[in-house]
Amino acid sequence: MTTMKKIQRTWKINGESRTVQFPPARRLLDVLREDLDLKGTKEGCGEGECGACTVMINGELAVSCLLAAGQVRDGAEILTVEGLEKTPGGRLIQRSYLEKGAAQCGFCIPGMLVSSYAFLRRHPVVNEESIKDAHAGNICRCTGYVKIIEAVQAAAERWPADEGKPS
Amino acid sequence: MAVQDRVAYRNVGQGIERLDGDEKVRGLAQYADDIPVPDAWYGEVVRSPVAHGRLIRLHFDPAFDFNRVCVVTPPDIPGQNIVDLMGRDMPFIADGEIQYRGEPLALVAAPTRALAREAAAHIKPEIENLPALLTLREVISRYLDGAKDLKELAAQTIVKGDIEQGFAAADRIIEGEYWAGHQEQLYIEPQGMVAIPEPDGGVFIQGSLQCPYYIAPELMITLDLPLEKIRVKQTAVGGAFGGKEEFPTLIAGYCALLALKCGKPVKIIYDRHQDILFTTKRHPVWTRQRTGVKNDGTITAMQVDFVLDGGAYTTLSPVVMYRGILHTTLGYRCPHVSVNGKVYRTNTFPNGAFRGFGAPQAIWGLESHMDEVAAALGMSPEAFRLKNALHLGDTTATGQVIAEPMGTPDVLENNLARSRFAALLRGNSHGIARDGKYHGVGLAFFGHGSGFTGDGESRLKSKAALDLEYLEDGRAGVNIRISSTEMGQGTMTIMPQIAADGLRIAIDQVRMPFPDTKYAPDSGPTVASRTAMVVGGTVFGAAEKLRKALETFAATALFGGEEVELDDNRFTGKLSGTTRGFQEVASAYLKQHGPLRVYNQFKLPETLRWNQKTFEGDSYPSYSWGCNIAEVEIDALTLELTVKKVTACFDIGRLINPVLAMGQVEGGLVQALGYAVMEKIDIKDGLYDASRMQTYVVPTVRDIPVFDIAFIEYPYGHAAPGAKGVGEMPMDGLAPAIANAVKAALGVRINDLPITPEKILKALSAHQPAGASA
Repeated sequence: MTTMKKIQRTWKINGESRTVQFPPARRLLDVLREDLDLKGTKEGCGEGECGACTVMINGELAVSCLLAAGQVRDGAEILTVEGLEKTPGGRLIQRSYLEKGAAQCGFCIPGMLVSSYAFLRRHPVVNEESIKDAHAGNICRCTGYVKIIEAVQAAAERWPADEGKPS
Repeated sequence: MAVQDRVAYRNVGQGIERLDGDEKVRGLAQYADDIPVPDAWYGEVVRSPVAHGRLIRLHFDPAFDFNRVCVVTPPDIPGQNIVDLMGRDMPFIADGEIQYRGEPLALVAAPTRALAREAAAHIKPEIENLPALLTLREVISRYLDGAKDLKELAAQTIVKGDIEQGFAAADRIIEGEYWAGHQEQLYIEPQGMVAIPEPDGGVFIQGSLQCPYYIAPELMITLDLPLEKIRVKQTAVGGAFGGKEEFPTLIAGYCALLALKCGKPVKIIYDRHQDILFTTKRHPVWTRQRTGVKNDGTITAMQVDFVLDGGAYTTLSPVVMYRGILHTTLGYRCPHVSVNGKVYRTNTFPNGAFRGFGAPQAIWGLESHMDEVAAALGMSPEAFRLKNALHLGDTTATGQVIAEPMGTPDVLENNLARSRFAALLRGNSHGIARDGKYHGVGLAFFGHGSGFTGDGESRLKSKAALDLEYLEDGRAGVNIRISSTEMGQGTMTIMPQIAADGLRIAIDQVRMPFPDTKYAPDSGPTVASRTAMVVGGTVFGAAEKLRKALETFAATALFGGEEVELDDNRFTGKLSGTTRGFQEVASAYLKQHGPLRVYNQFKLPETLRWNQKTFEGDSYPSYSWGCNIAEVEIDALTLELTVKKVTACFDIGRLINPVLAMGQVEGGLVQALGYAVMEKIDIKDGLYDASRMQTYVVPTVRDIPVFDIAFIEYPYGHAAPGAKGVGEMPMDGLAPAIANAVKAALGVRINDLPITPEKILKALSAHQPAGASA
């Protein structure tokens, strides 16, 4: 096979500028996990059904297994589970999951947490229905979701004022 | 229920945060695909495209350069080509007769996953096709025809009293048949394993697994290595549910065989497609229940046939069937019982362990049937169950006496009252829709044997060790060394809670590292709802031993010979009242003597009796109990079934951590909801007809009902702190509760899981005259 020309991108990942080169069509998930060593993002199904690979790109949720990394433009801001602890809202939602017992095996949790964080940034006032809608794309096989809903509710009640808008 | 000695426990009973939680919410927990393995090669499996056949030869495509890869076929296996599970009938790599579609024919490893896949695609088998038996339906039609041409993998009966006498004493005999299909565990982390060749010729296996001491001894005869040269360590596990009980031995074997041949670490991480197609499922089952009753509702006879589709090889199917038949009549007083359990071969992937291990299938039939019996007698579902439920002093089908207070029938009474069941019954639609909906409520009551079946726990002699040593952070402390694994259920949190209370020290002085056969003795597999009860009890005993050893040391070394007591993290001289902290005494011990290891071994009470041949005696060390009540709504137009509310009550013994216990129950009930109404996977052309998450549908957050869950604590009396089984309980009873609710709503019983709108439509059409509509 001939060597294909690599694509180069510079992104702001979890607040840090990172430059990476990868072959065309390489999945964002693989670039994150293997090229950037951000192994917190998980592959559960590889076809956008389970949500374990969910990340935030410029404030929008994306399943990184379905996205060619080359489609993410230079300068994009990417947030993975590893970046949550760098923000007050991210730390709060992590803490809330722990307090409520919302994580069991933990494999869906990176994607679930990013979904919770993206949701709460936009909707700090929540109800059970809106929480369910926001997490309907993340499958958890352990918890039955009850404690995840409780954790998001509890985090919403204490949501920091400065986390309101996408940065 | 009052628990008298609660005051003795400081950590047990507290809903502390899970100790492995921080790394999980930060994305730092290392699962099988996350551990760094320099220079790893990737493994692939070449699989049979036919369900039954004879392998003539493998063609290695000359267009592909096989020098770039490593290939393992049967002649490359150092030892015997046998997976050392029950029956010893399964080869690691098929050699001759092929028994299922997907059976391994060769293994390949290469420096990249793409190259390994390419190589595998260039190995083409030449196979002579043989006729295949593929479904439980075919098995049962032959079974009812005298079991002609069926390959029996296991058989067992239970006999109590004289079944003919029981039927003779009955006013009515009611018969029913119940079917249940496969279920996929669908842990979110797919199967993954790494094998690293060791300089001494051994192999170090790490991965996503439930039972380190299954893999190590089971690979001995295949790898021709002594036990001490097969080291197995668990990584973080992203869910298991039984799916990582016996199956990981296969994937570990593939990795180890390849690693030993090519001299490189070899890694196999299944993608979801491979994981659904080529791993074990819950056994499909057919149950026929025949029950004799008097007109007043007294049960006089219970006769059960319980037949499992074992898949292609024996594996764990006999034990699944044993647990199944023991639960086909459990919970009810009956003088005459006859149960006939069978496992037959089909040419499909071997079925295996899945949360509940035969009990959910058995209880599905039993609790659907108990409603049918009650209805035939004109009794309400709860009155019939209350009349026949086991009480203290009653005996089970195996003659086991309910000898210590348990949650039967308390969980039933509690749940009936909390749900206001009698009032709910009045809202049942009975086939007449209101405002476009049918409504129904259904009940299931059940027990679940805690720990291994029969004398399993006596034979295993589960061991636990506690190491007084320097912890990772440099402080003196205690490491818990057991082979019981954390897979989300909370082992790594409850074991420190239990050990801390046995030692009477603060929980932050105690750690539970990932199980590693190099350091941990065999505390048994993490299965059968046995970990909190059996291993927890063993750890508590070890902690008491270590506490006494430290008290003795402190007395002579630091307290001038006076008697010393360790409590609340400090040593106190009984005469002087002088105190010294645990840290000070533990450090002094380590300085003087070095690390201290204390062992303890689990012992069942001497009075327990079990006959493995006749299935008479004490079939389990104890029982957990549960009651589920489901309220359903069915759309009259689309027949979409919604479970609106589930009221549940459980006796799981003493709650070690109420938050974790509640998490187990909520999660298990949602998995049971999937089993009941949505998770459908059948065999088509010898292969599962769903192979991805798009086609194998499990509950999302949008599907969950409102829960009202309560616990009643009857601690197990023979192993402090007295936990019983929890993990499997919530899987047991929801499917029949929902089926009973569907019957109450529609007037039609669905006797085949899962209960899909298609099956409801079929049942309604059969029930109603042509042209009639709801």
